[in-house]
Amino acid sequence: MANRYQNRIELLQGTLDLLILQTLRWGAQHGYGISQAIRANSGDILQVDTGSLYPALHRLERQKWIAADWKVSENKQRVRVYRLTNAGKKHLVSERSRWAQLSDAIAGVLESAKKESEA
Amino acid sequence: MRFAFWRRKQRHEQLEEEIRSHLEMAARERVDRGESRGQAESAARREFGNVALVKDVTRRQWGWIWLEELLQDLRYGARTLRKNPCFTAVAVLTLVLGIGANTAIFSIVDGVLLRPLPFPQPNRLVALTYYYPKGAFVVMRDQSRTMDVVANTDSTEFNLTGADLPVRLTGTSVSANWFAVLGAQAAMGRTFRDAEDRPGKDDLVILSHSLWQRRFSSDPNIVGRSVILEGISRQVVGVMPADFRFPSPKTELWVPLDLDPRKTGDYWGSSYMPVSARLRPGTTLEQARADLTQLRPKVLAAFGWRMPDDIWVKSSVISLQEAIVGDVRTSLLILLGAVGLLLLIACANVANLLLARAAGRQREIALRSALGAGRWRIARQLVSESVLLSVLGGALGLGTAGYGLSILKATLPADMPRLANVSVDTRVLVFTALLSILTGILFGLVPAAGASRVDLTKSLKTGGDRGGASGNSRLSRTLVICEVAVATVLVIAAGLLVKSLWNLSNTNPGFRPEYIVTARITPNESFCEAAGRCQTFYNDLLVRVRTLPEVKDAAAVNGLPLSGIWATIPSDVEGYAVPAGAHVPMLLERVVTPDYLRVMGIPLLQGRSFTEADTAENAQRVALISKSTAERYWPGKNPIGEHFKPRWMSQWWTVVGVVGDMREFSMTRNLADWLDGAIYTPYGPHAINDSGPERPPAELTLVIRTSQAASQFAGDLQSVVSQLNGDVPVTQIETLHGWISEAVAGPRSTASLFSIFAALALVLGAVGVYGVISYSVAQRTREIGIRMALGARREEVLFLVVGQGAKLAAAGVAIGLAGALLLTRLMDSLLYGVGASDLKTYAAVGILLMLVATAASYIPARRAMRVDPIVALRYE
Repeated sequence: MANRYQNRIELLQGTLDLLILQTLRWGAQHGYGISQAIRANSGDILQVDTGSLYPALHRLERQKWIAADWKVSENKQRVRVYRLTNAGKKHLVSERSRWAQLSDAIAGVLESAKKESEA
Repeated sequence: MRFAFWRRKQRHEQLEEEIRSHLEMAARERVDRGESRGQAESAARREFGNVALVKDVTRRQWGWIWLEELLQDLRYGARTLRKNPCFTAVAVLTLVLGIGANTAIFSIVDGVLLRPLPFPQPNRLVALTYYYPKGAFVVMRDQSRTMDVVANTDSTEFNLTGADLPVRLTGTSVSANWFAVLGAQAAMGRTFRDAEDRPGKDDLVILSHSLWQRRFSSDPNIVGRSVILEGISRQVVGVMPADFRFPSPKTELWVPLDLDPRKTGDYWGSSYMPVSARLRPGTTLEQARADLTQLRPKVLAAFGWRMPDDIWVKSSVISLQEAIVGDVRTSLLILLGAVGLLLLIACANVANLLLARAAGRQREIALRSALGAGRWRIARQLVSESVLLSVLGGALGLGTAGYGLSILKATLPADMPRLANVSVDTRVLVFTALLSILTGILFGLVPAAGASRVDLTKSLKTGGDRGGASGNSRLSRTLVICEVAVATVLVIAAGLLVKSLWNLSNTNPGFRPEYIVTARITPNESFCEAAGRCQTFYNDLLVRVRTLPEVKDAAAVNGLPLSGIWATIPSDVEGYAVPAGAHVPMLLERVVTPDYLRVMGIPLLQGRSFTEADTAENAQRVALISKSTAERYWPGKNPIGEHFKPRWMSQWWTVVGVVGDMREFSMTRNLADWLDGAIYTPYGPHAINDSGPERPPAELTLVIRTSQAASQFAGDLQSVVSQLNGDVPVTQIETLHGWISEAVAGPRSTASLFSIFAALALVLGAVGVYGVISYSVAQRTREIGIRMALGARREEVLFLVVGQGAKLAAAGVAIGLAGALLLTRLMDSLLYGVGASDLKTYAAVGILLMLVATAASYIPARRAMRVDPIVALRYE
């Protein structure tokens, strides 16, 4: 059981961080909200495991890329809300450009492979 | 600290709340979509996953979590141990034995073998192998290009006379540069200066701290005063610090070497001594060795006669530490190996106890892992419990180590180098701490690895202790087999050593030690310079001693067998041509009064013994030789009437008789390997003096045949001697048996220590077998019940269980015997008269181990026999 979670964390680590930071760009959000937002924005494809989400949130907080505050929700419930810090914003920019490079590179490789197989 | 804890607690609560709110929101959303409240909540929970595990992995991101978890584990472990006082006591006791023994032995190994010598830059200090005479030392000191060469004699004894009763002190003669090169400073006054070892300048002495306190009542003005040593007045120039015990712990004073080239016999012939040196800056050990090689021809050329071609060919330069420790090293390392094995047995035992308990705890562990504890976390929990156990064992073991160390110090030979300085100190503390933790991990890891692999559903469902138990009991059987194997090795080693000791003590020494008391009579060397004075003194003394009550007979000799006192005479043997490359005959000389052979019970094999006439002024120079000397130099011939002489003299001695060989050097060898034969000369004017012209030796040992105990005899003897001369100390009043027992002190101490270890190993092994069989009986109660219900007889059950124990033991013994065949080879040098693969010892130990193991499984077997089938079947 433990292994299932731990493998997921490793697999998603960089990507999940990027997704969390990106989600928080539109405003502060709590853990549940973040997971729902990622799910909705990916058209229900990406389901974030809580066993990965909360460790990631607490890790990002420790790295000072996000900060947490307690707020009271519309249902009068105390919730922990995360927001992007300035350092987090900078980090997000660099992570996004790295991601763009990576995805271009992969697309390039796939594209050329496709052409070859067509030729 | 408190604040940190408070904050941490707060964070835990916050995480809790965060997750709660998550679940709450998820459930609310489902309710909004139309699910019922209960359905929504459980679905949200299912979707979330394992709450405890999520918390656990999240907390891990905070850092420092391991410390917190460790504390948690330790607290939990302590609670479990407190709840099982019996288990805890047995485990801790086992560990105390194992760790205590290891700590005690390690402190000795550390103090004797590992700790650097207490001098500046100790790694630059070296020693030459082999002994050299004074003349050779001077050549090397003056001509070495790589070393500052120093020399000191082995322990020498000195009479201190003056105010009180005369006393005999142990000292050493050292070259003038000795203290300076070693880097030792006096606590008061000064050490020797250059050239103070030349004749005329050497009437100086340096005192040890303890001698200064004891004998001179810590006189602050001692420096500059004169004391009388061996009848010579010497000026005290310094007092050494209390911790300076070199070259021997017994050394009480230091005098300069008397380097006088005019005393040819002494300077070149007789006083061989160890030579050591400090490497000069920038030179290596290899360069020093090469230097020694080029010095050798120069040394040989300086002799007044031709030395054997092969002398000192093998002499080399080794570190001083290695030279001091010498052959003690092997014994100590073997002892360390033995206690290491003992600790392994202790570990296996505790691991087994833990295994048995882990089987009972499987439900607990399954529950914990169902609640989200990771495998690693559970394993760590179990290991921290065992580390707690072993640290407890280590702490108590440390307490017993001090006690063990004092036993060890009493058991080990007192002349073991550096033993006096050994104590339990910080280094030993660190060793024990590390050892305890390692031990805990070692024996904790085995059951932990097994327990954390628990099959969840099976364990929880059967509710019993069956799931996974088979794997564990295979493991514990393996552990017991190993335990028995290691115990077998230890018991065999002990058996071999005890047998060697028995052989040694029962070797025929070549003389009859029964009812003989010995006493060393030590007038000053100068006392015998006047012709006839010594002879008259000893004649009178022997006459008076013979009249003492209970005395049957008395004689005297210059050095007793096994006493470590010997005069060596490089000789020419008539008709014997020294083969090229071989050395000249080196003969041990015993100067004896005519009755010596009779008193000692030494058999005369050929020719005649000495008579009073042989001791007269105008007597012919005659000698007796030992049997092997006769066979070596006059093989197949009658040696009676043949001749030999010391190299530096012109007169020849005539062989008049042949006597039996005896253990002169040690209980294992008649003569040291640098000696080629033994001669006996009569105590008289023609006794050969190893330092020059003929003169009877001043110091003799009386051998007295009496039915009285040595202690009762001492007073009588002392008063007889002081009536004759008030300045002559009497020392070493002991039985001849005492000398023999001293000669085997080393082997005896090794044998007794090994016997203790072997006994402990045997007990621990038996406990191990008992534990495993009892556990298996408890596990098989149901099976045994079924067997009996089906008609198995009680004896059959007994056989079944005992057979199981015997099978384990047989496997262990077989492995142990094979292991012993390999390992006991390492202790070949400690064995005497028994081979390392002695069949009888192996067979006896094998049978012993089988018996013990069978006996250990008999107790649980009885319990199995009494199982009531009905109760057993209802048991579940």
